[in-house]
Amino acid sequence: MHHMTAPHRRRATIVAAALVPLLALTACTTGTSAKTTNSAPTDGVLTVGLLGDIGQPPDPDIYYANNGTAIIINTYEGLVQYKNDVSDVQIAPRLATSWTVSADKTVYTFTLRKGVTFHDGTPFTSAAVKVAFDRRIAVKGGAAYMVQGVKSVGTPDDLTAVVTLDAPNSAFLDELASPFGPKMESPTGLAKNAGSDNAQTYLMTQDLGTGPYELTTAQTGTRYELTRYDKYWGTISPFTTIKLPVYSDPSVLELAFDKGDVSMIAAALPSSALKKYSKTSYSTSYFLPTLQSALITVNPSKSFFSSVDARMAFMSAIDKKTLVKQVLGERSEVATTMYAKGMIGGGADKQTIAYDPSRMKSFAKTASDKKLVIGYATGNTNAQQIANILAAQLIADGLNATAETYTTSTVFGWANDPTTGPDAFIDGNNGPDGGSPYLWGHVFWDKTGGIDYFLCDNPKTDELLNQALATGDESTYVRAAAEYESTGCYLQLSYNKDWVVAQNWLTNVAKAQNLGANELDFSLLGIKK
Amino acid sequence: MIAFLAKRLGITIVLLFTLSAIIFFLESIAPGDPVKAYLGANASRVDVLAERHRLGLDEPTIVQFGRFLAGLAHGDLGVSFRTHRAVTADFAVYLPATIELVVFAFVFAILLAGGFAFSAALRLPGSSVYRGILLVGSTAPPFLLAIFGIVLFYQQLDWLPASGRGPDDAGPTGFLVIDTLAHADLPGLASTFQHLLLPGLVLAIAPAIGIGRILRSSLESTLSADYVRTARSKGLSGGRVLVSHVLRNSIGPAISMSGLQLGFMFAGVVVVEQVFSWPGIGNYLANSIPVSDFPAIAAVTLVLGAIYIATNAVVDLLQAAADPRLVT
Repeated sequence: MHHMTAPHRRRATIVAAALVPLLALTACTTGTSAKTTNSAPTDGVLTVGLLGDIGQPPDPDIYYANNGTAIIINTYEGLVQYKNDVSDVQIAPRLATSWTVSADKTVYTFTLRKGVTFHDGTPFTSAAVKVAFDRRIAVKGGAAYMVQGVKSVGTPDDLTAVVTLDAPNSAFLDELASPFGPKMESPTGLAKNAGSDNAQTYLMTQDLGTGPYELTTAQTGTRYELTRYDKYWGTISPFTTIKLPVYSDPSVLELAFDKGDVSMIAAALPSSALKKYSKTSYSTSYFLPTLQSALITVNPSKSFFSSVDARMAFMSAIDKKTLVKQVLGERSEVATTMYAKGMIGGGADKQTIAYDPSRMKSFAKTASDKKLVIGYATGNTNAQQIANILAAQLIADGLNATAETYTTSTVFGWANDPTTGPDAFIDGNNGPDGGSPYLWGHVFWDKTGGIDYFLCDNPKTDELLNQALATGDESTYVRAAAEYESTGCYLQLSYNKDWVVAQNWLTNVAKAQNLGANELDFSLLGIKK
Repeated sequence: MIAFLAKRLGITIVLLFTLSAIIFFLESIAPGDPVKAYLGANASRVDVLAERHRLGLDEPTIVQFGRFLAGLAHGDLGVSFRTHRAVTADFAVYLPATIELVVFAFVFAILLAGGFAFSAALRLPGSSVYRGILLVGSTAPPFLLAIFGIVLFYQQLDWLPASGRGPDDAGPTGFLVIDTLAHADLPGLASTFQHLLLPGLVLAIAPAIGIGRILRSSLESTLSADYVRTARSKGLSGGRVLVSHVLRNSIGPAISMSGLQLGFMFAGVVVVEQVFSWPGIGNYLANSIPVSDFPAIAAVTLVLGAIYIATNAVVDLLQAAADPRLVT
């Protein structure tokens, strides 16, 4: 038997004595805070915590990522936007007060808002529309496609812009309403600061928009700051400054919010924090509609899923209701359609794959290759949980299933060679650029789109989507969806909501959000009296 | 000595070349598509392919490597796919933040190590609690220690901030201690130190134990030496014996260990910068890896490698200066 020597005993005692208060303190901090409220700011500063940097420069013609949309939509405006505070897709005025569309969907005529000025003080006129479209093409950002079909922009007067397209496009208004859609930028400012890169350097740290706020600080990876534009044509916000500090760790962001140093967190915290914020007395959780979803895609280039039967058996084994309830909770609802919620009237684009675990059990018995990898993106805890649950279920069916993590870059690299990808992939949260079914179908189902990870393509679907784009006919979109569902490559698991946690004193949160933006219009937020 | 210096320089160049070749090799075999980071997640396949061609990413690895080396020779580290800025411009922002943090933490580590070593060697009463806390801290993973520090000093006690560097404007040098001093901005200087304390402490604890243990062993060995007993018997004060005789003869191994630990601190700064949202190259690297922002990853790796090699070279030089027999 080993006996401790006296010095060892003394050392152990010292270490234990040091550990006890540390552990006790840690235990004290795991409980819910006793405080009941965090007070509203009196200095006009709203602090919105960002989880991770915005990822790209806050230039509206370049930015095509996630949380930086908050900066874009508060400093720039497009001609139209999605209507705030509604759960379906409705185009609403912004810098255009009204518009008409030709019967063949090639000519869009906009009447522009009077009295709008850019942040450099110059007036907004129809001339800015063509300049903005031209710049978007010139800088070749990821969302440049939205104006690639523009043949000409007529400016019969200062407040009328006539956009003529090369070909019929029923989704054009959706593209303009998208948070990634073309925004109006001061032609004078662009010319003055053009440099050798179409003002890209200038717009990394400043803005040339018309929005309610001006970008006054942009320290990549550290913080961004917006200052109220007092000559804004619309609602003047009670907040003179919006601070957007970047937090790298979600638990530190939560602590800052709990302490009141952060006023609001939008779409940044994992679902595991839902329970905590349903109990706090100082904050309110808002679950706001979006076009985002959790998706499951399978890889037809892998031997396991080379047949439609295998893919359908796998999709049938997914218990959507249980998964959504167990993992995603209140921030999601079970998806019943192929496109995002509300894209097709009456939900006619219904998903028909029914839950039937026996199909996969039978298939597993006869499968020659029993190895199966379910992937998820690194850092997406919801997707990770779903992947783990599915893997466990498949193991019970007799397969050798594992859940594996992949970096964002790796996920996007699969399209170069789908055989390098996993057998299936859980996409915890993804969405289209806008509310048109075309923008959904093209991106997720067409191999030339952006997020058909494993290039699972059905030419008939592509053909129908292109037909529907020209006409806007919903029944054609429904047929395209049905065609794609027959591939067995795709299942929409849930409609995800935008989970915003805000201090109790913050008001109008729902009114400041629209389902296309996933971020809030800060100028519409208020302070509880 | 000149031959020794030339040899070290040659080795440094070879090591950095090898490091950059390894980075390129790994990048060429790693799956992933950095162009999506550049264009955006939803970018179409046609746009991605066109951009890949424009950026030269579809060229053979050897061609890309040659271009990288040519750029490196001219001080051009390429353009970050993520920030769309020259990597050198990003470094001008992030590197001072990391250097400031590591230097602060290093000073912190030396002080903690000194306290650890002297209190143990001299058997100061009650000091075992201090050493116990340091030992416990050094055994905890840095991220856990960081979270614990934030919970204690930010959430519970409200003494220290949890993230960022403090004053908003970086000033001319990017080193906030220098910039705030240059502008006689005392509140800014105080805020800078407040922000440095917690990440600095987290970064310092493990190296402090490493250095402290070496120093304690040396001190204990020297304290029992005959010449120390002789010095005491001559009536020299305890302080003078400690500084002039004991410390001077014990510090050599601790200096070597300090050099090594300084290199390790630069390499280990990534986790600490992540938790404290410290805008340094560690955070820059952590944000660049998931999107395969190769120019940024390569540049940070090379710079960290160069710092590590340079630190060790300085230690070698100091040792060589102290013991000419090493210069052979």
